[in-house]
Amino acid sequence: MTIPVNSFTKTYSRKTVLSFPGFTFHEKHIYAIIGANGSGKSTFARIAAGVLTPDAKASPFSNTDISIGYLPQKPFPFRMSLYRNLMLNGSGSKAVDVSRANHLLEALNLTQLSSANASQLSGGETARMALARLLMKDYRLLILDEPTAAMDIHSTLQAEALLKSYRETAGAAIILITHSLKQALRTADEVLFFREGILMEYGSAEEILVHPKKAETKEFLEFYGM
Amino acid sequence: MGLTSSVISLLIGTPLGILLGSCESRGRSALVVMNRTLMGLPPVVCGLICYMLFSGVGPLRHLRLLYTVRGMVIAQVILITPLIIGNIEAYVSSIASAIRETAVGMGLNPLRIILLIINESQYQILSAYLFGLGRAFAEVGAISMVGGAIAYKTNVMTTAIMNYSNMGNFSLALALGIILLMISLVLNVFATLIFRQLNSHGTK
Repeated sequence: MTIPVNSFTKTYSRKTVLSFPGFTFHEKHIYAIIGANGSGKSTFARIAAGVLTPDAKASPFSNTDISIGYLPQKPFPFRMSLYRNLMLNGSGSKAVDVSRANHLLEALNLTQLSSANASQLSGGETARMALARLLMKDYRLLILDEPTAAMDIHSTLQAEALLKSYRETAGAAIILITHSLKQALRTADEVLFFREGILMEYGSAEEILVHPKKAETKEFLEFYGM
Repeated sequence: MGLTSSVISLLIGTPLGILLGSCESRGRSALVVMNRTLMGLPPVVCGLICYMLFSGVGPLRHLRLLYTVRGMVIAQVILITPLIIGNIEAYVSSIASAIRETAVGMGLNPLRIILLIINESQYQILSAYLFGLGRAFAEVGAISMVGGAIAYKTNVMTTAIMNYSNMGNFSLALALGIILLMISLVLNVFATLIFRQLNSHGTK
């Protein structure tokens, strides 16, 4: 199954910050979006998630019935227990939700914190809680904006393993926005490189991160030490 | 009377404050400025407007509200409601976009998003109420103009303090002031207990 995203643009104060040419995402694939700050990665994520409207005011998806899950850069920890935060995004079946919540808490090493007030968690704990909360449901398209930026390496690896497992069980296409090229290489099937609001190059993780074709991509990778 | 007017203001001001703080329409800024202007409404001006509306030649004279407790409550509600709206709006506007982005990302519907905003604003709603109640207890100008400070009818503690002070009976005025402060202390202790209860409830 494929998830086509139509072309769209986003303009702020007469400056086009993103000009997306359209792309087709495939289920059970992880896509890493890389690029410098201000390259349009988060704008793409917010428009695809329906949080922000593109210039044309229309959804970039031809099929608007697609279930999309989106984790913003700064997810909000609701002022209730961590466990209740997860249950907020439950499917409605209590038995299923409890089992899934327990599995996610275990996978992200959050079991000990399940009764803690989510608004009082540390940055890394909040990031893990927010990821677990989002993964409570099966989405066809999952968009994650720097989900592991606040996590230590151990938690990052746990999160990546969880995402790979989610890709298979939920059959989702996962878009992972990251500043870590190593993470992109570890987890992504395909990589999209954004530069100044333009999708410069895309291809398999190895094609883009190891053998890039475009000079802009090479320059970016050299700057980031790849 | 202070309790009645502050509760009515809370019931009107809370939904308006949440609505104003969470909406993103173009007219929002104008409404915020208008409300902030009303937050600074001098009590005597409010009293004067109410007096003119309720007096024998005013458009609301048939309601017979002048020199009644009901009229005094209306005057206080006009004064306090913008304060409650302003307090809640300021807080909600600081969290609404983050809550909305997270909740939309989870696929929650607009009603659940509003309920989450209310849940996050519990402290602020209670704090805004206490602020409004304090204003109601301290208010003299509007209620003395609308109520007339008639003994055993519309004379409340603040207007009584003013009257006793004018008559030179400072000890009685001071005693009433101390009682007023004690009531405020009891209410604030009660509110602190509610805050604690809310906090412990939040972790369950």
